[in-house]
Amino acid sequence: MLEWIARGLSKRRVTTRYPAHTEPGPPGYRGSVSVRDAGGAAPELARVCPTGAISVDGGDIRLDRARCILCGDCVRAAPERFAFSERYETAARSRAGLIAGGTNEDEEAEPARRALGEQVRALKRSIHVRHIDCGSDGAEEWEIQALWNPFYDIQRLGFFLTAAPRHADVLLVTGGVTGPMRAPLERTWDVMPEPKALVAVGTEACSGGLAAAGGLVAGGVDQVLGVDVYVPGSPPAPIAIMHGLLLAVGLLREEPSA
Amino acid sequence: MSVAEEPIGLPDYLPAHLGARREPGPDHEIRLLVAPLAFLRTSRMLRDAGARFVTLLLADTPEPSLMGVFALRGDLVVLRAPIENGSISFGSLGAWWPAARWAERELVERHGARAIGIPPERALTAPDADVLDPRVRGLDVFSLPYGPVRSGIFEAIQFVIETGGEDILRLETRPFFKHRGMEARVVGLRPEQAVHVVERIAGIASVAYACAFSQAVESALGIEVPQRAECWRAMHSELERIASHLDVIAKEAETTALSVGQARFQILKEQTMRLRARITGSRFGRGVVIPGGVRFDGRIETAELLAELDALERDCQRDRRLFLGTASMVDRLFGGGRLERALVEDYSAVGPLARGSGVSTDARHERPYGDYRRLGLRVVTARDGDAMARVNVRFGELTESLRILRQSIDRLATIDGELTVEITGARNGAALGWCEAPQGELVIWVEVRDEVIHRMHVASPSLRNWALFDHAFPKDVLTDFAFIEHSFGLTPAGADR
Ligand code: SF4
Repeated sequence: MLEWIARGLSKRRVTTRYPAHTEPGPPGYRGSVSVRDAGGAAPELARVCPTGAISVDGGDIRLDRARCILCGDCVRAAPERFAFSERYETAARSRAGLIAGGTNEDEEAEPARRALGEQVRALKRSIHVRHIDCGSDGAEEWEIQALWNPFYDIQRLGFFLTAAPRHADVLLVTGGVTGPMRAPLERTWDVMPEPKALVAVGTEACSGGLAAAGGLVAGGVDQVLGVDVYVPGSPPAPIAIMHGLLLAVGLLREEPSA
Repeated sequence: MSVAEEPIGLPDYLPAHLGARREPGPDHEIRLLVAPLAFLRTSRMLRDAGARFVTLLLADTPEPSLMGVFALRGDLVVLRAPIENGSISFGSLGAWWPAARWAERELVERHGARAIGIPPERALTAPDADVLDPRVRGLDVFSLPYGPVRSGIFEAIQFVIETGGEDILRLETRPFFKHRGMEARVVGLRPEQAVHVVERIAGIASVAYACAFSQAVESALGIEVPQRAECWRAMHSELERIASHLDVIAKEAETTALSVGQARFQILKEQTMRLRARITGSRFGRGVVIPGGVRFDGRIETAELLAELDALERDCQRDRRLFLGTASMVDRLFGGGRLERALVEDYSAVGPLARGSGVSTDARHERPYGDYRRLGLRVVTARDGDAMARVNVRFGELTESLRILRQSIDRLATIDGELTVEITGARNGAALGWCEAPQGELVIWVEVRDEVIHRMHVASPSLRNWALFDHAFPKDVLTDFAFIEHSFGLTPAGADR
């Protein structure tokens, strides 16, 4: 045992300093897709996307990140219009906040990164997180689990896992909600006390993703329950999920709507 | 595809009186046509000849057929019986071959097939979290559902445990809470579009799924992939295996409350995920493997990659020694969740699970594909069949994966040329593709018609191995549940599709 502890101590600090400091993805990381040039597009361009994330309205491109699985088909087909960005922070408090292109530039729409860290401190208590899988591909679970590893150590920000929904402040939902998971999802949410926040983690949870067209999933958590924070990505990286959790904390401070 | 000489003889390991006609097929695929009434009898003869059950499916090429896939002596034997006048009716294999039970239930419940003599059971493919359906009678016996909402961050699956308090009297595994219809989803898509779906069947094995699917398409259309692409595929596959095995080991450390050990293996796993992100732009290696090859060369300098692998190996060795020297950890795993070899064979289990019970099966070795035809592979096995044996197999495979990666880096320096070939020429075809995923052998049947996917069927290692979970608790108590589950190392997404 002593040897383990020595082993633990001998290692340099690996923990991220996010959100106090930024943390971009590695070079070439496919974190999100941006629209570089939204105007004067042909309607056919929408067809390159396998999930219907791209639409062209009067020549203007709109890209719905809630549907984007980061497959890169658009970037390959029209590199002058679409580009990958290494940015991890893709979460938003509304579906509208996930639309890129057109006139909606989303970069500054959400509270700034540093302010998010302040919010947790202002809450003056720890935040209990519960997770439910409603039909993910399994990768989201790995990335959420990673938040408690030494690299991300989300406990340092006051986030703890709980197995009891009655003690949970935040519910992380993965998957587009399959039939057999609908009732368990509703029940889990119902027994959580107010104030509470629901975070949809991953493109499948945000919109159903590729599975949506098959008709066996509801097509996103918001088809079943109100979603407070969307974290798109296929899967979203741990920092992206951490960003989503921090956005959710802001909601816990606000009075529950009557 | 091998050229057909009429009639093609059967391989000599098959009984001569099999009563089947051989049809031409790609390497390692022994295609046999039988009369519908002979399907059951021939399956039985294959089993008697030592075959391992892989899957049952409904094929549509060359004609509507019931198809059974079996692994035997380095080949896949594909038994096909035409479906007559639209009614799918066959004698139950599951009645005498436990390995076939779940696959058979899927055919019956999802596709309206009739399996004559199938044991009556509650529906497998339409689970209801609230129906416990206890079977064990007794004064103090009660049923305990674990899942589908798990405590902790785990995928949805349900286990109904019948217990007298501490000991587990009976366990029932209930998959399919996550069925998303991914096989049907690819129908009508071009292969390079379909691979996006396939990568998301089991997200933690994206590379394995993309490889098995791509190889099926390539085999169906008679395409040879450039060697450089095969080399990269092997490297991405081994990195995926390393991440997955480290994940299992970290979770075992977690359940035995060995927190420093847990942290150490989590760090190694995270470093592997970051390395994959640097090489491919995705922490899960997505978007690289496509039918026809790979999209791009890894975006990392050789020297840097080698340095990363050296560091990983050094840390793995050291942490493994500590792990195996920690009594509280090892005592827990020894003897837990023991699976006898005979049981593993009855259920045709695969992967580290089978290898932990002394069954030396590994698709990379049994039917070498891609670059594994050129790389040597040492199949790691252990005899004890318990959770410790399964962890030991994974430790051994970490070393082996690192060795393969180094060998591949050397090879890569010697092969130039293209990364992809155009999928042109043949527009139609059907074939199996396979690979050894971190969870075990993955086999995918693909039919291509007019350049789009016409049908796909996935035989996932997770579904096949989970059928065995019900039997993993002969002497164990409730508190052993978590580490026995982790030692299986499976993913519900892959099982449920
Ligand atoms: S990267 Fe996103 S937006 Fe672009 S084609 Fe793929 S799913 Fe559609």
